[in-house]
Amino acid sequence: MTAVVDPPVGRTPPAAGPDRAAEAVARPRREFGPVRWVPRAVVLLALAWWALVYVPGTFAYSAFAADACIYAIIGLSLNIVIGYTGQLSLGHQGFVGVGAFAAAYSLTVQEVPFAATFVIAAGLAAVFALVLGLVALRITGLYLALITLVFGLTLEGSLFEIPRFTNGGAGQPADRPQFLFDDGRFYLFCLAFLVLACYVDYRLLRSKTGRALLALKENERVAEAFGINVTAFKLIAFTLSGALAGVAGALFAYRIGIVTGSGFGFFLALTFVLMTVVGGLGDRLGVIMGSSFFAVLPFLLEDSPLKRAEEAIAGVLSFGDAGTEANIIQFFPQALGALLLLLTLVQFPGGLAQQVRPFTDWLKGEPFDARALLPHRGSSGPGTVEGSSVRA
Amino acid sequence: MLMALDVVAPALSGAIQGAVYGLLGLGLVLLYKSNRVFNFAQAEFGTSAAFAVLFADNGTGPLPNLPLPLAVVFGLLVATGLGLLTERLVVRPLFSAPKVTLVVATAGVTLLLISVQGFLAGAEPSVLQPLFAGDVFDTGSVRVTRQQLVIVLVLVVLAAASALFFSRTRTGTAIIAVSQEPTATSLVGISVTRTSSLTWGLAGLLGGIAGILLSGSTGFVSPGSLTGLALIPAFTAAVFGGITSLPGAFLGGVVIGVVEALAQSNIPKDVLPGSGRVVLFVALLSVLLIRPAGLLGKEA
Repeated sequence: MTAVVDPPVGRTPPAAGPDRAAEAVARPRREFGPVRWVPRAVVLLALAWWALVYVPGTFAYSAFAADACIYAIIGLSLNIVIGYTGQLSLGHQGFVGVGAFAAAYSLTVQEVPFAATFVIAAGLAAVFALVLGLVALRITGLYLALITLVFGLTLEGSLFEIPRFTNGGAGQPADRPQFLFDDGRFYLFCLAFLVLACYVDYRLLRSKTGRALLALKENERVAEAFGINVTAFKLIAFTLSGALAGVAGALFAYRIGIVTGSGFGFFLALTFVLMTVVGGLGDRLGVIMGSSFFAVLPFLLEDSPLKRAEEAIAGVLSFGDAGTEANIIQFFPQALGALLLLLTLVQFPGGLAQQVRPFTDWLKGEPFDARALLPHRGSSGPGTVEGSSVRA
Repeated sequence: MLMALDVVAPALSGAIQGAVYGLLGLGLVLLYKSNRVFNFAQAEFGTSAAFAVLFADNGTGPLPNLPLPLAVVFGLLVATGLGLLTERLVVRPLFSAPKVTLVVATAGVTLLLISVQGFLAGAEPSVLQPLFAGDVFDTGSVRVTRQQLVIVLVLVVLAAASALFFSRTRTGTAIIAVSQEPTATSLVGISVTRTSSLTWGLAGLLGGIAGILLSGSTGFVSPGSLTGLALIPAFTAAVFGGITSLPGAFLGGVVIGVVEALAQSNIPKDVLPGSGRVVLFVALLSVLLIRPAGLLGKEA
């Protein structure tokens, strides 16, 4: 192994690059040869055991782990729109809802086979995304955020309340088949879908479409000058994103067993955007981690060190007033999410992805570089992801 | 079964409701004009102001028990302060960031303000007395309260005043200049940061006025109540009237309010539930497709 490791293009935060190289030259590292893979393999195997054996086997964890996988798929879907294309969608809860109701309705009312409900959910959500995109993506700038927002609210208030499809306020049941009754198995089922979503995302980025999306995010006019059909590629991205959200919606329906329309409001849309941004726009692993974190946050606040931190903060802020303390505990997750979002945008534009990069780089065989954890505002400005930025 | 269309009563109440949308939309237009950004926190400046009035009026916590007019002044100060604070802590660090980032950040401010309101007041709605009690007239089917009349008057005055502010005063022109070309503007001696503070402070004040009047009119305030009640129609109204036009926010608000009320009272729930929202969606889509600049807007 040579002393200076060439950082893979675009993977290193801007500020750390030259310093790290200079330091490596000045202080040659010890070379471990192939032995260095041993601790890394141990860590990877431990993670795999935890995700594939321990979590599905632990009753208290598996339902939340399934939530984490579903949210991660939604995060990946939203990341295609925000992270790769640089557009803002505030209506993704609408696509998730369409997927959920499509799966529940086709399974329970139309008695379609279980596997086919996923195709229907993805297809229908994709059609919704396509139609909305056809109209909305012709308008440039921030208007997509507004239109998707109103679209989501319209679905919530209107379509999701039509009794024929959604069974009104009672909700449309979506029973899992026998072999998925166990929450642990259902979690593994969701995890398989997450892996599939990651693969789709990976293939997308490495296709002509992926390159076109990244180009048009950088600068639409330049991309257009290079012969990229901006509207068409945005539409492809938006439709694909809708399909992924639809699949996540179907999983969501089977996770809770009954779908009601009232759950798909504005705050869910905000949570989706929040988890994607906090995770780190444009970074697959970061988005998955951010989404999973927000999915399991209610669980963490039931029983974990975070719960004790929450109680301590509530105790201090309330000056001993019991009512205020209860209020703080009730609104704590929301405040935490908002603070994390603002902190990410202003101080850590790379999101969680940037924070875990030293660990992932280490797993890939590079030395551990703790300085990448420090806050820094790269020269390319906030929202910087893999050497690029989100643009309106 | 065909029913006779119910027109007069919903049109009147819709127009008054629309004035509320317009009042909130005014702040949205101000920030779009000056910063090219959709401010999702606008309604929460208002809810926070309404809470501040409530707390000051009741003498909650460390606050002295203020008479109502002073409590209203306190509420407006809080709203203006929140606007300034948002500018200093969130907008200014993101000055050169893409606008999408800034829009997401204002959504973050919304969530944060809602949770702080929740910390202080809890999730249950608190009762807020109207500033101006009594009715102008009440015919049984149509009722107009004094507070609603004040809302309409305040909206007309504010829309006219802020339109004049942008076209006639040096400060107003400076704000437009900063939004169009920050670098050139600072070269001719206009402070970009001070202008930015000014616009966000003004937006906070406008939001505060809207929040106090609207919450007094609905009679309650709860964390995030204004965002839930009026933010989306206010955005639709602002875009419909022309997102860069202050009188447009007024006109758009009234049109959206009337159409929404007519749809809600004439389309039966079992035919199309949530018809008010469908109308908003259709109005927004059609105006953006047919005339993206809005009724009174121009590309500037």
